[in-house]
Amino acid sequence: MASTRAKLLIGGAVLASLLLVGAYLAAGGASYEPLKSQDPCKPRPWRDPQGLQQLAEQFTLSALDGAACQLGVSRETLARALATDKARERFAEKYGIDDEKLAKAIRAGLVRAVDDAEEAGALTPFIAVPLRGALQNIPLEQAIELVKDGRKIFEGASGILGPLGGFLEELIP
Amino acid sequence: MNSPRPRVAALALAVGIVLADSSIVVLALPEIYRDLDTTVAGVTWVLVSFNLVMALAAVPAALLARRLGPGRTAAVGLAIFAGAGVACGVADQLSTLIIARCVQALGGAAAVTAALELLPATVGSERRAAVVWAGAGATGAALGPAAGGLLTELVSWQSVFFVQVPLALAAAVPILAVARDEASTQIIEAETRSAGRPHLWANLALAMISASIAAALFLLVLLLIEGWRLTPIGAAIVVTAMPVAAYFGSRLSSFVPSERARAAAGAILVSGGLGGLALLPHASVWLTLPPQILVGVGLSLVLSALTETALSGRAPQAIHGGWTISARHAGVVLGLLALTPIFTHDIEVQRREAIDAGTAVLLDSPANPLLKIEMAKRISERLDDEEGKVPTIGPAFEPLPDDPEERSEVVGLREELQDQLDRGATHAFSPSFGIAALLGLLALIPIGLARRVDL
Repeated sequence: MASTRAKLLIGGAVLASLLLVGAYLAAGGASYEPLKSQDPCKPRPWRDPQGLQQLAEQFTLSALDGAACQLGVSRETLARALATDKARERFAEKYGIDDEKLAKAIRAGLVRAVDDAEEAGALTPFIAVPLRGALQNIPLEQAIELVKDGRKIFEGASGILGPLGGFLEELIP
Repeated sequence: MNSPRPRVAALALAVGIVLADSSIVVLALPEIYRDLDTTVAGVTWVLVSFNLVMALAAVPAALLARRLGPGRTAAVGLAIFAGAGVACGVADQLSTLIIARCVQALGGAAAVTAALELLPATVGSERRAAVVWAGAGATGAALGPAAGGLLTELVSWQSVFFVQVPLALAAAVPILAVARDEASTQIIEAETRSAGRPHLWANLALAMISASIAAALFLLVLLLIEGWRLTPIGAAIVVTAMPVAAYFGSRLSSFVPSERARAAAGAILVSGGLGGLALLPHASVWLTLPPQILVGVGLSLVLSALTETALSGRAPQAIHGGWTISARHAGVVLGLLALTPIFTHDIEVQRREAIDAGTAVLLDSPANPLLKIEMAKRISERLDDEEGKVPTIGPAFEPLPDDPEERSEVVGLREELQDQLDRGATHAFSPSFGIAALLGLLALIPIGLARRVDL
């Protein structure tokens, strides 16, 4: 009798433990973790942009990917670094990236964004070629502003394309 | 005829308070950390120092109790414990608090080991004494975190120490009044010399399972407060599941006389519960309840069974009781010291990954891009303010926009971002819970090797 009770107790403990662990595994316990960051050097498909605002957003995201790839960090890390001046200073200190390196990376990112836009059919070569040329030489601060809000590339005479930007605005629904 | 019940209650209370003290401060640690302006590693020593001194002082305290008289030793021990408790409560520096905790542990070790020497004469048999002693200790350890959380939230962290003072003094009064025939010095020395070796396997299993249980309590409290941002009182309410389950587990002990079976079943349940905590499928306090129930039932079974095994057939009880106290607290110390660097590293890694995941959610969300830029700036500032901690991002979304569509977008974003942070926090503790579960399973080896010496 005592031996039976002992076996029942141990058996019950094993069963209860296996049921709990099994139930939590089946409910996805082993995979309950944050989304993993995608490698920024791998191409990311564009959502079909409807209008200038969405085009600018897709452009910005591609630029972030391109710049992050150049710097060897994730797109998300770079996005946070560019959000405020304090974040940018900390980023520069942590990764040893001076303004020159950052400028080069952001320009490279913007050029990649033009390539991605052309690949997705959002920009024709007629626009893409001069745009690449313009982006390769812009100052760092302007480059950062463009990454933050890609519409500035296209907006009228104040945009980087100047009058060409205004023309583009007319073309895009 | 004097009823022994008040003395039994006093002795059980003394054991319960002292052994609760190894875990009662867990829920007070975040408040102590902020109040005394110290580091995470520093504040962990408030917990570790007590357990370390208990581990080192238990056997010498037992020898002292045998030499000076257990009644006097227990009373003086409780007085030192109470006095040091006051010193803990008024401490305004971490170093003072840690020193006071060490003194508390010295007094506590004396009281607990002396109590085991007094119990057989009070309850009628050594076996019954071991059951009462082990049960009081297990109950104290299980109730500690919940009591600490309630006191911290309702009053202050200092009250966690102050409240122990009247309880310790109340326990000391009946103990002083205990009439006991003191053995002559020669007899005490002879008994002490022939105390015999401690029960190796039972004590080793106690150390391993104590490390495992310490992880269950400490890590769960940290997950609830630092990971999921519950208040101390909220966390205290959640962790009451463990002592409640422990109470029902203690009822099971009377149905199964085999100590080895109870110890094995208890270790399996503790491991299973910790395995469940390592595999939480969602950041929900309800999902911590089934694992807590398993751990609670398991700890009451295994701690009492192993303590009884370690004490059975061995004399004097106080010294062998001292060995079990040393084993348990050494296990707690080793468990905390081994797991602390692991989970602090994992918390930092998961924090970064969760923030990256949240940023990705923000970047890829279909919300208005201008809104996203504004949110990104606010969240970045919020993260700056909460450097080094699992962040709360709710305030970054206040005030919500007036436009209903934008408001809906912002609320959706907030929920998705918080989900990623919750995932990160929960996942950060998984490896540590898993290691603790493994320790519990490994304790089955010495449990299997432990044999009770029949009286």
